[in-house]
Amino acid sequence: MSRAFAFCLLLSSLGFAQDARQIVAESENRSRSKSQQYEGTLEVVGASNKVSIKRWEYRRIGSYGASKSILRFTAPAEVKGVALLIVNHTDRASDQWMWTPAIERDRRIAAQDRSTRFFGTDFSFEDLEERDVDQFDYKLMGDDTIDGVACWKIESKPRQSKSSQYTSSVVWVRKDNYTVAQIESYSQSKLIRRIHYSDIQNVSGIWTPRTVEVYDANRKSRTVLKLEKLEYNAPMKDEDFTLEALRRG
Amino acid sequence: MGKLARALLPVLFSLPLAAQTFSQRGYLESDLTLYPETAPNDSGQAVDDSLFRYEASYQALPWLRLAGSFDARFDTHEQAERTARLDWQDRSLQRPALSLREFNATITKGKLTAEFGKQFIRWGKADILNPTDRFAPKDFLTVTDPDFLAVLAARVTYDTGTDSFDFVWQPRFTPSRTPLINERWTVLPQTVAGISLVDLGAEYPGRSAFGARWNHIGSGYEFSASFYDGFNSLPVFQGALDGFFRTYPELRLYGADAAVPLRWFTVKAEAAYYTSPDRQQDEYVIYVLQFERQIKELSIVAGYAGDAITARTPTLQFSPELGFARAILAHAQYTIDSNRSVAVDAAVRQNGRGSWIRAEYSQSFGQHWRATAGYSWIRGDDGDFLGQFHRNSFGLLALRYSF
Repeated sequence: MSRAFAFCLLLSSLGFAQDARQIVAESENRSRSKSQQYEGTLEVVGASNKVSIKRWEYRRIGSYGASKSILRFTAPAEVKGVALLIVNHTDRASDQWMWTPAIERDRRIAAQDRSTRFFGTDFSFEDLEERDVDQFDYKLMGDDTIDGVACWKIESKPRQSKSSQYTSSVVWVRKDNYTVAQIESYSQSKLIRRIHYSDIQNVSGIWTPRTVEVYDANRKSRTVLKLEKLEYNAPMKDEDFTLEALRRG
Repeated sequence: MGKLARALLPVLFSLPLAAQTFSQRGYLESDLTLYPETAPNDSGQAVDDSLFRYEASYQALPWLRLAGSFDARFDTHEQAERTARLDWQDRSLQRPALSLREFNATITKGKLTAEFGKQFIRWGKADILNPTDRFAPKDFLTVTDPDFLAVLAARVTYDTGTDSFDFVWQPRFTPSRTPLINERWTVLPQTVAGISLVDLGAEYPGRSAFGARWNHIGSGYEFSASFYDGFNSLPVFQGALDGFFRTYPELRLYGADAAVPLRWFTVKAEAAYYTSPDRQQDEYVIYVLQFERQIKELSIVAGYAGDAITARTPTLQFSPELGFARAILAHAQYTIDSNRSVAVDAAVRQNGRGSWIRAEYSQSFGQHWRATAGYSWIRGDDGDFLGQFHRNSFGLLALRYSF
């Protein structure tokens, strides 16, 4: 009896695991595009409610795992031109380089440095990577609602090959359009960061959140990113996503 | 206006407007430097230096970008010239009052990038001292706080993503700017005390310089190998009856650098072997080994710079590179929040005869303003490169408006 119960439990948990992975894979598939670009406005709200505004331009070629992206600050004036190149990999953490025009140098961001906040925002360098479905193990935790919309609540844990500051994350995926509504990331059981996605619109057939709010639980600060001039599948070239391209701006 | 410029202007103005992307930025900064002590050749204790810098770039065509940068400066200590001429050569003893800091054209075709004109070229991976960085002369008017100078060069880069090949040809020599003879960053030996020394000018190299560098990005590591054949941007001083003049030794350099991110820290190493075909300077190896770690908002870089002299030449040379070698070097920066940060830099010679420590606090106000306050302590004795500046500890107050 107890063996049969254990077998049923195992089957059901395998079933849940497969479902959770399929949900995340479907979410990724639906947002797949050849390229993406947008202009982002970031409102960084510190713990003392002091607000600072930053702007960046973002361009990505490829999707999930095999993508490369460049993010370049356009404001405020003193960080204008500072840029980040992210080369994502399917089998390991991304490679990242930051370009600082004032010293005309690029600097590789080491894996252990990815928990650092990215240029005074509440994003860490790791949060700017793309999450490839195969780099995590998943478990369906049940149903929930975010902003009044029904979601699947899924726990994801990074596989050994994926070095991460987070030991686990809880991902809410909307049932109506498979977009990610929220991610809470933990170190052991401590909440580190919450990323909330809203203002979801259909752009070129892809449901896309136009507002991303990141909450840093340690600092009690938050950053609101608004995506403007969003465009998918614009023609881009692979050679515009190299260290040389990062340097030339 | 030269013939070339006259020929190019109509072409530039006829470029399609649809492809235009113009971007600009710049700042106005005023630095107040306060020296608690006077120096034997410099009684000035307060120096104000104001700089206006404007940078613009114009994407004329998808494959062509034009960029330029202009500096206007004024100071109270005559470190900057007082003549209103537009300088583009960076060969003057003083900083030019008006200067075309950078102007170049970048042509991109697939994996190939060619850049022509006055430009900044930075090689190497270390953060504190870069022995392989040969196309990067500096302004050493304040020895502990140098600023890079651009060089007139043609640079061609082929970048595959994992490998890049960089070829540089520099037809016209740009020297590093050495400390002014009548100011505190030139420390004269006791033997010439009371003698009026005059800079009789420089003999600049007549031929061009060439360099090549290969950089490879692997899975979890990066390395480069480089070669340079040209001239040292730092002068050798040749004595004459009524003063001295500057010559620039031939230099051939073989270099390598690497960065390996490990689990707990990133290791960066950079080394170069300097040879002197005309035997006008020492031959030596300079190397840097540094460890770098980011812990939350604290960034730490610490390392050692060493040298090994393989052949000595009895010449008098200004050499901050060797002066900062045989030393422990460190940099730490803590970001308090998105507007405030503190930083500490240090160089301590292993023989204990010279040390330099700088602490700086910086805060931005709104979207445009930044204020910085700092202090640099220099300790040591006259026989050491760093120690000889022991009278030059200084406080700095800087205010910058960026646009």
